[in-house]
This record gives sequence, structure tokens and C-alpha cells, in this order.
Amino acid sequence: MTTAAPAWPPQPPRWVRDVGWRTFAAAALTGGIVHICATFAAPLLGSGNAFQKLSDTLPLNAMVVLPPAAPGRQIVPFTPPDALYAMCRYELTGGPVSVTAVVADTGWVLSLHTPQGDNFYVMPRQLLRRDEVSFLVVPAGHSEQGRTTKVVSPTDTQVASPTSEGLIVLRAPLKGIAWQAETEAALRRSSCTQVKR
Amino acid sequence: MSLLANLLLNAIVFAVLAFGGGLASAWYMIEAGSRLSTRSFGPWITWTTAGRPEADPYTRAHVFRNGLLPLSTTLELTFRSKTDSRGARLSSDCDYTLLIEDMAAWWNLAVFDGQSRLIPNPAERYAFNSTSAAPEADGRTSITVARDARPGNWLPSGRSSRIVLVFTVQDAALAAAVHDNGPPPAMPEIKRVACR
Repeated sequence: MTTAAPAWPPQPPRWVRDVGWRTFAAAALTGGIVHICATFAAPLLGSGNAFQKLSDTLPLNAMVVLPPAAPGRQIVPFTPPDALYAMCRYELTGGPVSVTAVVADTGWVLSLHTPQGDNFYVMPRQLLRRDEVSFLVVPAGHSEQGRTTKVVSPTDTQVASPTSEGLIVLRAPLKGIAWQAETEAALRRSSCTQVKR
Repeated sequence: MSLLANLLLNAIVFAVLAFGGGLASAWYMIEAGSRLSTRSFGPWITWTTAGRPEADPYTRAHVFRNGLLPLSTTLELTFRSKTDSRGARLSSDCDYTLLIEDMAAWWNLAVFDGQSRLIPNPAERYAFNSTSAAPEADGRTSITVARDARPGNWLPSGRSSRIVLVFTVQDAALAAAVHDNGPPPAMPEIKRVACR
């Protein structure tokens, strides 16, 4: 008695053979379009980006020193929790925003972010000759020279913001709990105020 | 097979492949990342254009969806690890040691639970950085991640089953090398010591 040798190459199941190649081609094409649309739509479907979450707690055009991170009181996911943060939510339609910040030590960083999370300006301590920095945040493409009624300092640098609103974040890592009061005092010397036109 | 059954079969296959495949692949690229948007060094993964205005759409979606606020990767890199150096899932049931090389740059090592939340612990310690950790005599820094207190730099992992380690390095030269596919940086090995 002999047994039939298995067919080679192996045949796909019948139901696969019943699906036309046009169906596979159309599915691949449509799948690509769905993939692209889903990627670009994903931000809209999320539970809320950092800017949206922080907007609820931050006043407009004012620097706020946030309490230290703790379980249930996290500022932003995956940011170094052993640091103090000062933040300012700025809005430029009423005029440029004047920023003065103390960037005192290694690891301290001043950064500006759009509502979409783009970090368009960053100033770490190691790039500064002194520990205090001041500048004006102005809308991109608008030189505020001569348009402002109040200039904080003639040497103020202008930083162009690509969006009319955004976040200014000052991060101050803690060397230890004993440095918390000193670090917080340094952060409180930082400011963010709108310069009226 | 009847014409109607054949039409139905083709419609089902089309829907599963087009919508299921399209959505699943997008979700994977946004949440887990791929070689297009991330680089891996052992168990550590970093999104190479996070925070940059010119970031790719997957990175932008990842940052936006997860509520992150990264510094530009021209200055600082954030590496995340969900596994130890042998590929086993990180868990608070195990103790781990990490040896961080003596680097001039500022760094930070933090531990989070599987949902990226800080883990409650009596010591109220959630991270070490290059200025708060005590280095060894040779300049390297050894950090122990464990549930219960350990001598030296002890980072409590609490009683969360799954944990994530996040290593942040502020080093523009390193960031440029990683972005430009340069030589791999010396990342800390995550060595499992013991499990209960």
C-alpha cells in the first residue's frame, strides 16, 4: 500500500485562493492610506498633550514654580523627577513676553516649546557665561524693535516663537533635598511678563 | 463557492488587511517605534528626533499622544528601557544594578511604573542625577534598583510589577553622534542581581 506524496510547493488554503489578487492589492493600498491618516490623526485622538494638560494649571504670562514631583503629582511623564520646574504659559497676541531666568548650575536648562511639543529654543547652563539670561519672546517674522512701548534692556535678545502661544520651562535639578530651598529661591527670581504695546 | 459568498469573503479580507493592518502598523510605529524614528543600544531605546521641530510624523505623534515635553535631541537624549541587558522584562520583584561610566555630561536615572507614573516609596526617592549620586573611587557610579533598601545609591522600585528605567543625558556631542548614526555610546548595563 502506498501513500500519496504531499504536493510541493504546498498549496494555500482554498479560501485564500478564492480571494482575488485585486483584493490583496486594494487592501495593501488602502492599508497604506489608513496608516498615514492614522499617524497624522493620532495626536488628535490622544488623551491630551503636555501643553493642554499644563494649560489648566498655569496662569497666562506668569512664571510659576511648580511643587516637586511626587506620585500622583507628576508634571510631565518621563521628565527627571528629582528637579524643580518653573513654567510660564505665554501668549503673544497682546505683545511680546519678557523673560528673565536664572540658569544656575549643571543640568539647569531653559527651554521654549510650542503647543505641539516642539522645543524651538534651548539654553543649557554650559552655554552661558553668567547665570542669568533675559530675552524677549516675539512672534516669528515680527521684529518688535521700535514697536514696544517698554524695552526691558537694550541688550535683550529676541527669540522668535513660531506659534502665538507656548511654554517656557526652566528645569533645576536638585543635588539633594538640602538644596531644595536654595534651588526654589533661584527659580523664584525668574520672571515672565507681557510687555504691553 | 457562490458569488455572494465569494464577495463576502473578499470584503472581509479587504477590511481586515486594509483597516486592521493600517491601524495596527501605525499604532506600532507610534508607540513602540522603529528604526525610522528610534535607535537602540542594548535595552535602551531613544527617539532620535524627539522635541525637534523637524521631527518625523511618528515621533511627533508619540510625543503628542503620550503627553511628553522633551528637550530637543540636539542637546539631550532620553533613553528608556523596559528590559534588562539580557532581554528579561524589568520588574520590581527583582534587584538590578547599573554602572554608569564617569561622564562629563549631566545625566539622570529615574524609575517609573509600567504606566509611566512615579512609584510611591518611603524614601521619596524617584531618581538620581550626576550631582546627587555618590560616585565610586574610579569616578563611575553604581546604582541599585531594588524594592528594599540597599547600601549606596539605592533607587526604590516599590511594589509595581512592571518598571521602566529612564536615562537622560545632556550632551550635545553624544546627541549628534546618535542622530547621525555615529558610534554607539557607552550605555549602562542593566544587570539583574536577584529575584524574589
